[in-house]
Amino acid sequence: MAFHSLLGSELAPGSQAHIPPRAKRVIFLFMKGGPSHVDTFDPKPLLDRDHGKPPPFELPRVTFAKSGNLLKSPWKFQQYGESGLPVSDLFPNVAQCVDDLCILRGVHGTNPAHGGAALKLHTGSDTFVRPSLGSWVVYGLGSENRNLPSFVTICPTLAHGGVNNWGAAFLPQRCQGTPMGTASSPSKAAKVKHIQNPGIGPGPQRKQLDFLNQLNRESAEKNPHVEALDARLESFELAYRMQTAMPDAQDLSGESKVTKKLYGLDDPVTEDFGRQCLLARRFCERGVRFVQVTHSDSEVQWDQHGNLYQGHTKNAAEVDKPIAGLLKDLKSRGMLEDTLVVWGGEFGRTPTAQGTDGRDHNPHGFTVWMAGGGVKGGMAYGATDDYGYYAERDKMHVHDLHATILHLLGLDHERLTFRYAGRDFRLTDVHGHVAKAILA
Amino acid sequence: MNLSHRFVNRLAKPLAACAILAFIFSAKSSEDSITDAQREFFEKKIRPVLADNCYKCHTAGSEKIKGGLALNLPSGIRNGGDSGPALIAGDTKNSLLLEAVRYGNRDLQMPPKSPLPEQAVKDLEAWVALGAPDPRPDDPAAKISSGGMSPEEGREFWSFQPLSKAEVPEGSHPVDYFVDRKLKEKGLSASPSASRETWLRRVTFDLNGLPPTPEERKNFLADKDPNAASRVVDRLLSSPQYGVRWGRHWLDVARYADSNGLDENLAFAHAWRYRDWVIDSFNNDRPFNEFLIHQIAGDLVPDANHDTLTATGFLALGARVLAEPDMEKLTMDVIDEQLDTTGKAFLGLTLGCARCHDHKFDPILQADYYSLAAILRNSKNFAGTNTGAIKHWYEHDFATEEEKPKLKEWDDKIAKAKKAASSFKSSTTSKISGIARSKSVEYLEAALEFEPDDTLETVEGIAKRFDLHPRILYHTRRHLENAKDSPVFAPWWKFREKKDVAGLRKFYDDQFGSAVLAFNELKKEDAKATKLPDEVLESFRAAMFDKSGFLAVPAKPEHAFDEKDLAEFHRLEEEARLVESHAPDHPAAMGIADAEEFKSTLPIHIRGSHLNLGDPVPRAIPAVFEQARPEFPDDSSGRLELANWMARPDHPLTSRVIVNRIWRWHFGEGLVSTTENFGVLGDRPSHPELLDWLAVWFTENGWSIKKLNQLIVSSDAYRRSSSPDPKLDPNVDPNNRLLAYFPVRRLEAESIRDAILTVSGRLEPEMGGKTIPLRNRQMVFNHTSKDHTNYESLRRTAYLPVVRNHVFDWMHLFDYPDPTMPTGDRNSTVIAPQALLMMNSELAMESARAFAARVKKSGETNQEKIQAAWQIALSRDPSATEMKAADEFLTSSQGSDDSWTLFCQSLLASNQFLYLN
Repeated sequence: MAFHSLLGSELAPGSQAHIPPRAKRVIFLFMKGGPSHVDTFDPKPLLDRDHGKPPPFELPRVTFAKSGNLLKSPWKFQQYGESGLPVSDLFPNVAQCVDDLCILRGVHGTNPAHGGAALKLHTGSDTFVRPSLGSWVVYGLGSENRNLPSFVTICPTLAHGGVNNWGAAFLPQRCQGTPMGTASSPSKAAKVKHIQNPGIGPGPQRKQLDFLNQLNRESAEKNPHVEALDARLESFELAYRMQTAMPDAQDLSGESKVTKKLYGLDDPVTEDFGRQCLLARRFCERGVRFVQVTHSDSEVQWDQHGNLYQGHTKNAAEVDKPIAGLLKDLKSRGMLEDTLVVWGGEFGRTPTAQGTDGRDHNPHGFTVWMAGGGVKGGMAYGATDDYGYYAERDKMHVHDLHATILHLLGLDHERLTFRYAGRDFRLTDVHGHVAKAILA
Repeated sequence: MNLSHRFVNRLAKPLAACAILAFIFSAKSSEDSITDAQREFFEKKIRPVLADNCYKCHTAGSEKIKGGLALNLPSGIRNGGDSGPALIAGDTKNSLLLEAVRYGNRDLQMPPKSPLPEQAVKDLEAWVALGAPDPRPDDPAAKISSGGMSPEEGREFWSFQPLSKAEVPEGSHPVDYFVDRKLKEKGLSASPSASRETWLRRVTFDLNGLPPTPEERKNFLADKDPNAASRVVDRLLSSPQYGVRWGRHWLDVARYADSNGLDENLAFAHAWRYRDWVIDSFNNDRPFNEFLIHQIAGDLVPDANHDTLTATGFLALGARVLAEPDMEKLTMDVIDEQLDTTGKAFLGLTLGCARCHDHKFDPILQADYYSLAAILRNSKNFAGTNTGAIKHWYEHDFATEEEKPKLKEWDDKIAKAKKAASSFKSSTTSKISGIARSKSVEYLEAALEFEPDDTLETVEGIAKRFDLHPRILYHTRRHLENAKDSPVFAPWWKFREKKDVAGLRKFYDDQFGSAVLAFNELKKEDAKATKLPDEVLESFRAAMFDKSGFLAVPAKPEHAFDEKDLAEFHRLEEEARLVESHAPDHPAAMGIADAEEFKSTLPIHIRGSHLNLGDPVPRAIPAVFEQARPEFPDDSSGRLELANWMARPDHPLTSRVIVNRIWRWHFGEGLVSTTENFGVLGDRPSHPELLDWLAVWFTENGWSIKKLNQLIVSSDAYRRSSSPDPKLDPNVDPNNRLLAYFPVRRLEAESIRDAILTVSGRLEPEMGGKTIPLRNRQMVFNHTSKDHTNYESLRRTAYLPVVRNHVFDWMHLFDYPDPTMPTGDRNSTVIAPQALLMMNSELAMESARAFAARVKKSGETNQEKIQAAWQIALSRDPSATEMKAADEFLTSSQGSDDSWTLFCQSLLASNQFLYLN
């Protein structure tokens, strides 16, 4: 009978690190649906020039929908910062932080459908249920706090892989992500389930726990050979502490007006995602290892098969300011140094048109960016071809992205293994290369 | 034909022609035959390229060699790897190495991250054209691949050895004979028997998954007959609750679920038929060999009926990437899932590990894998219908001719209800769009009053003054920011600069007005007209009507609609969902059927890729099995032959694996602790002779699981106390594998919830039937992420819906296994969220209240009530200290109405309740 305890078996922070860590924690800003790279961080002048012409390259063997002619970007790109990296007019605020960004333009995946691609990005597998990236991180590094879960996911979507995207699969349960709300709930109402008793006040509940502890202690003392019985005593105390620690972390009343404005909490357009970003910072301050923030709504958010202009305009308006706010806030608090921020969707979009004003899914080449946490800022790494369809230079497969993220956290993706059903499993399976060129 | 296909076809062909070429040009590998110029060329131009770009993954002798290809040796390049020779000396057209570095074939690009510089590619081409002279020393014997056991070696491994049944002395209990012998060998002292009430609680949870009632306890304690215990066992085995408990064990192995839950979560609204078939099979003690055959080939057995067809659900219940657009990949992925599950469930073999290469540890070759896959390739796993990009799994149709038209009516009703919601959405959007268009000029005027990064709140104030839609106005301003050069909006910027509001109004009034007027005139002449001939006027008209133009209506109804319309839209959507959820299902069972045509071979998929096909292999069982190898006739898919072979009594794995599972479910740990893996990386049996004895006895006794249950629970080993004997040396057998005492075990998720409901008197006895509140293939989750499955039912937990990807908290948090992988050995973790559930969930609170009501009626004094509570929940009397603690708690909380509830909740959350002695 396998036995894992939330407590006791946890190692001291960082003690499992294989290599000197550059980052201690991760904030993953997941843009559900697949934001278009050629309209955001990967400008393609030839797309402007050849707008409306058939693509002068071979299309993939399998595509999601029928592909049309080349479609230029409706947005202009401008250079920003000392690095002079181009960012489109969709992200004027994030553009102000461009010198902190490491823009990975040669990312590619394998699956052209949302579910498969989201699973691949979160778990490394679009074929089987495997532990999620956050779970591997928690498994490898343990917890940095005593009162909160180590992996929190804020307003995740339950579609397209759902829980698997933050699941522990066969890893110990404590590595599982703890969801707060779902994509259908406003972040203001997002709560961890069962975190409070609707009927019993803290006084009587404390007394009840003391009585329960008496019973449990007796059984633990009678069976000293059963480790779990002791652990249960601890688990109730931790649960009791979580009941105050969680609402505490979510209580924004202590944040200054300036901070709230920075995240866009004063604007109904940015309020919802801004709150998620601010919560992410607060969880990080409290030692949560891995925080995922999901931008998803009751549609598929960034999935503009049609209406690209309107859809992406709206989506970018919702996230641009909050993300820039998060980066600036982390930086001013000295947290950006050891917090790795990752931005991206499950794939990019085709440079060819779907219908008249849409773009199809494109896993063959897209952009993910990182900031802080030991990556070089003001850098563009990798490239897609002249039109933005395929990753071509310094390519990073999703497995490479995972290997690199683990590396930044001090974990060797080839040594971070778990024995299950007679086999050693890895997040990167038998793949993955660390993109050393982006390490600061 | 595109490049990748060419590549595949070429590899599938015999390489005879290439071999002749290779002979003629034979790559120069010995140093003697190389000219100085060739040597210099290699050292300067070729070796550095190979060393810098290729050796990392392609070096013989290193820990991993990708694709089995070693490029650091002349023979490595010549012989090539899994995909064939890397180069053909002199042939720049057909050398794989060159194809890879040229980057033209997207499925074969090397180096993987970035192409080589152009010059390096040219150099390699020149080198191959020269005949690839290679001055490096060779080592043809270098180890390229690291395989596991050969089939011959495998036959020596314990689990592949024939079964043998050792002699058990007359009068000995076979279980105790073997267990006690091991204890004696190690000098370990066994614990005495547990108390009778402890045994009763143990065996009742074990066989029925429920606690004994206070009456059952009283009766048993009063029954002094020496057969009292075996009568209890008979009672428990014949209770229908036995099937619910033991069927659920098998459902873990069968990775049972009521939804797909991989990429797309569609309801398996017919899976319950398989679940009920399993529970019935256990209650009726269906012989295990038949149980196996029906699950693998129930559609092919001579007396096939609805039951046997339903059994094939075993092969259909796996999680599939239903929106995978590559059908060939999906087909092979489904077969892989079936092989992996079948191997682990019945044979304790991790067959899936041989998909890409020979098994790294076990005697399973990649060719064995594709020989088995060739059998499953002859089946139908998909229905051929789909919902958008989502493919439908195959089902056996049970609908009668009378039912069919009725079901069609329901389909129409659902379509109608969905249409109502979508029509309302589009008509409301058009309405909003029309209103906005009539105020085009006002939008442009109002947009003068703010900046694009002003907050929506600011914009709302302005919109109110102009009576405009705030979100549209907000968008208008952003649109203008992007349209400085457009002929329609460039004037807006000029008026803005001049602060000329009146001019702006006049200009746009004129332009929009004339455009609309002109278009109306045009339409009178030509009803089919879509455009004005005047380009300028047309651009103004088009701007107003552009759905993503300056008057774009927000795509989200929540942003676009007013409260009334939004409520109506949500009502229609919910109505459509309810119509669908409540519509009757087309009666059917998930399953598998034979394909229309059979193929007797399947190519090996090199590195597991369906794009890289190797030699075809015939249908066969793995080579390691030498005896009783079945024939696979051409006119048969081969599935029934496979099932019959697996169910043979002399199969070295099948009976060992199942009796080990049953042992595990009784004792909490198997004789082989890795219940799904009897291979090299698996555990070795703690009692090999016992395992074999049980396996043979099982097949000799009609493969009866109930008889085996009876045999095991009647042993002394099963009866022992869970406290180690004080004389027991804890260092000899620290994990108690030899069973000197009975292991303390936590209840499984189902038993925890079922026990809570039993104790509180809330458990509902109804058995069987559909329990997921969704229609077949309905989305469990769409993008709204709203959970429409409910778990309010008070039936046994085995009947709650198993939604993959979103398993019910009470199951998930208490180590319910991932329902996509076969599990015979559940975990038993202790985590804080379990405590939160016990402390704060509705189920815990409601049950504690009901339990308290029951307790309060059961006596006069606190003492009497406390004693009753202990008997109901823990099947025993409280100890003196427990009584004292309880009494103190209740006395000190006197006055609080809830004190009995809090007390009862504590008992339900206690170690004593959750852990079995």
